[in-house]
Amino acid sequence: MEKFIKEDEFLARWIAGELSKEELKKFENSEDYPVLKKINDASQTLKAPTFNSQALLNKLREQTSAKPKTSKTPIIKLIPNWAYAAAVVVVALGMFYVMNMQSHFTTGFSEQLAVVLPDNSEVKLNANSHLYYKTLNWKSNRALELEGEAFFDVEKGESFKVLTNEGIVEVLGTEFNVISRDTYFEVQCMEGKVRVTSNSLKKAIILLPGEAVRVINKSLEEWNFTLNEPNWLAGESTFYNAPISQVLVALENQFQITFDTSNIDLDKRFTGAFTHTDLSLALRTVSAPMNLSYTVNNEKGIIVLNSKQ
Amino acid sequence: MSSETKSVCEKVTYEYLFNTHSKTLYNYIYYKCGDEQQAEDIVQDAFIKLWNNCSKVVFDKAKSFLYTVARNIFLNEVAHKKIVLEHQNTQINKVSNETPQFILEEQEFMQKLKTAIANLPEKQREVFLLSRIDKKKYSEIAEITGVSLKAVEKRMSLALVTLRKQFGKI
Repeated sequence: MEKFIKEDEFLARWIAGELSKEELKKFENSEDYPVLKKINDASQTLKAPTFNSQALLNKLREQTSAKPKTSKTPIIKLIPNWAYAAAVVVVALGMFYVMNMQSHFTTGFSEQLAVVLPDNSEVKLNANSHLYYKTLNWKSNRALELEGEAFFDVEKGESFKVLTNEGIVEVLGTEFNVISRDTYFEVQCMEGKVRVTSNSLKKAIILLPGEAVRVINKSLEEWNFTLNEPNWLAGESTFYNAPISQVLVALENQFQITFDTSNIDLDKRFTGAFTHTDLSLALRTVSAPMNLSYTVNNEKGIIVLNSKQ
Repeated sequence: MSSETKSVCEKVTYEYLFNTHSKTLYNYIYYKCGDEQQAEDIVQDAFIKLWNNCSKVVFDKAKSFLYTVARNIFLNEVAHKKIVLEHQNTQINKVSNETPQFILEEQEFMQKLKTAIANLPEKQREVFLLSRIDKKKYSEIAEITGVSLKAVEKRMSLALVTLRKQFGKI
């Protein structure tokens, strides 16, 4: 007996007819075999009490003739399904808002604004300019968007990018001035090193202190200057060989005026400066060297420029 | 009747399930409790439950649903009785040309066997009888009783060992 108990499933395998020939032969010679065989044979002649399934089926037919019961009390969910959807939307909006949180600074006509960025870098915005940047992760992603003119004093750190319509200015701790208006793009480097990438020219230039570059009508101009700080911070705008159109835009921004330029050649270049404090003085300093005359049209609130021939 | 789309709520499907499973279900519960009336009641309750939940139970799962429900009902109202098994008379007629003494001994053996089976632990008994009387394969018994195949084989072997111990040499 003992040796068959050793293997738990031996007898079960025997019943199922799964023993090998040798195993079976050995087993048939054991003294337990006749008894177990008799038990097996006899137990197969047994039967359970008769089960009157037809009677039960008839009973069931009576009981189930009605429609299957639907649960009597409707189940009202504690949290309806739409609440999950709404929660997801709220969280997504929140994430979107945080990820895209922007600081936005704007200057109006004849305004200037100094902005201190989260890393203590400073931006000085000239008149009629816009500056945007994402406040989240500022330290690892120092990028801002500029429209107009601004002077940057950048703290050392990761790369610092100024994105404009016309190109990208990239620096590692330095001072520089950027003008980006419509298609005009100008960068002056005061300190450190600046890399300027022009979108329209698909070209990158590295500027050292005292160097400046501008892109007008898809052509690139480089020049040198000696200022430590742009003059507009001191109440004066300075130009070196700049197209008169840009000079007039700068005047418009400082004094909130409008020029009628239909009668003059906008591609002429201007070198010089105008003050921010006195409009008539500024107009004279710009128009005289350029051989222009101006008349103020009070009705339309515009200043008409004419070439003196 | 192999289609997965068969709804248990359909009368035809429902009665097919009844005809296929009710007898084994009845025997299974009877082997557990030894009470014919209780076994019948439990079979009835299990099938009523199946009907009430017919929209939630897919056809393929109906069988295990029935056995699980029956098992749970049984556990909730255990009232054990000794099981009483019957002979299949045909078998005895075959050996009627033996001596009266042999017949007497046979009858004694059968009586002893029935008592021994009735005294088996419930888990061994249900496996042993589902195999020997209802001729179910071990895999099917495993599904009915809700335990693993290995456990069924173990219980089968144990049942035989237990029964063997009731008899001396023959």
